[in-house]
Amino acid sequence: MSPPAALLAASTTGAALLELGGVLVVLAVLGRTARALSLPTIPLYLVAGLLMGEGSAIPLDASSEFIRIAADIGVVLLLLLLGLEYTPAELHHGLRTGWPAGIVDLVANGAPGFLAGLLLGWGPVAAAVLAGVTYISSSGIIARQLLELDRIGNRETPTVLTVLVLEDLAMAVYLPLLGVLLVGAAPADAAVAIATAVAAVVAALLVATRYGRHVNRLLDTGSPELLLLGILGLALLIGGLAERVQVSAAVAAFLVGVALSDQVADRGRELLQPIRDLFSGLFFVFFGLQVDPRTLTPVLVPAAVLAVVGFATKTATGWWAARRDGIAIHGRRRAGLSLVARGEFSVVIAGLAVAAELEPKLGPMAVTYVMLLAVAGSIAMRFADSPALRNLTNRRARQPAR
Amino acid sequence: MEVFETPLPGVGSRYEFTTEAGEHLAIVARRDRRRDLVVYDREDPDACRASVELNGEEAAVVVELLGGTKLTERLSDLRHEVEGLAIEWLTMPDHGGLTGRSIGDGRIRTDTGASVVAVLREGQSIPGPGPEFELQAHDVVLVVGAAASVQRAAELLTR
Repeated sequence: MSPPAALLAASTTGAALLELGGVLVVLAVLGRTARALSLPTIPLYLVAGLLMGEGSAIPLDASSEFIRIAADIGVVLLLLLLGLEYTPAELHHGLRTGWPAGIVDLVANGAPGFLAGLLLGWGPVAAAVLAGVTYISSSGIIARQLLELDRIGNRETPTVLTVLVLEDLAMAVYLPLLGVLLVGAAPADAAVAIATAVAAVVAALLVATRYGRHVNRLLDTGSPELLLLGILGLALLIGGLAERVQVSAAVAAFLVGVALSDQVADRGRELLQPIRDLFSGLFFVFFGLQVDPRTLTPVLVPAAVLAVVGFATKTATGWWAARRDGIAIHGRRRAGLSLVARGEFSVVIAGLAVAAELEPKLGPMAVTYVMLLAVAGSIAMRFADSPALRNLTNRRARQPAR
Repeated sequence: MEVFETPLPGVGSRYEFTTEAGEHLAIVARRDRRRDLVVYDREDPDACRASVELNGEEAAVVVELLGGTKLTERLSDLRHEVEGLAIEWLTMPDHGGLTGRSIGDGRIRTDTGASVVAVLREGQSIPGPGPEFELQAHDVVLVVGAAASVQRAAELLTR
């Protein structure tokens, strides 16, 4: 390499590090702000992306390729940790006892997005993406707040968690289907995709229950470093292979997570959490980067209307599911308001569609929707037990039933 | 008494029961061995009036105090009978003290006169451990003897 070329390489490396460091510092500052306000970090990370994208104040250049790949890894990690979160027994139990709530949840919260997509004249595929965005709650925001608000022991909490488990299982079928729809395949291909996805879920559960011990012995060498490399490598490898055959890497990672169990899953979760936080943070930034802030104004009204509807339908879903589980009136209100928050998985779904350049307004719509409901959902959950809401529920309960 | 188990996906399990006096209680057993002791509200039967989080060691001691192995009950009888008897629960440190070594290594009885009468480990109680018994970090060790002896034994064990 001649001296000028070497100098040039050094300066691009420097520029990339500078930009990346800047992004992470911005995220750290925004994360602190979110903590101080007791709000989830996702909306602020999206704002950071919006502010650093094209047509904005601080455009990123040298580090953009790295952030794009980091975003892909972020999606894999989000889904891998989701898979590690639940044991096969929990998934099975959730499916067996909660399926009516799962169906009500899917219809009540998917339909508004789908109809809105059609009304906006987006076509059925983009409408199906918006349905996914409005359907899925944020298990990240909800699980963390259940702990922070000391509601883990509450009797309505299993209802909330079961709805989340079913949504995650639905994702495992929805994401491959979406993959097929996005490449514009025929209905027959879609049917094959669904069948493959269901078979893959069953296979992963079988691996976990039948061969879990062997898989664990292969990975568990007692060294945290090797376990981390093993799980992460396996998830990326299988994710990459899945992507090759047009199945989403995210779903493959979810299934890898499901297939791992016991101590490997427990220790893997601990080890991977900080890495997930780093890469998923970059994923939210990347999603924000792809959206030009100037495109937000035209979608503001439809997104706000959809958010109000999404708030109401999720609350109703939780209320209904809690009543079905024999929860009294105040618990039903808490369950309903606990499910409102949308977050990381809505962004994952929208991200797939934005990458496929399906509909230009989808990205801005999803960003606005998630920002509104991540904040509103988190606040609703926090104030679900406030005296004002208790009185309101009591008054309604005292009204004579017709 | 009937105990109802409910799975808490991603967290662990919850065990609920109602006491004879009509108080509604539950224990949340988390995967990481932490336990929450929960008392439900009478007005709002699904909310917790009080919720106490216990780590693994604390839960083990609470079990012991509630008479899980009857050890405590017998010990308090003993304390009534022998004046000046001191009983101390000690948690083994991560490093140092006798962590990773046997009770015999510390020559506790020879040097201090106090005795290790039981060890609580991962919710199990091991009564009367012999001199070859190896102590691990986070074991809860029950030491009995005269007040000064127990004090010296505590230093040997944990420092």
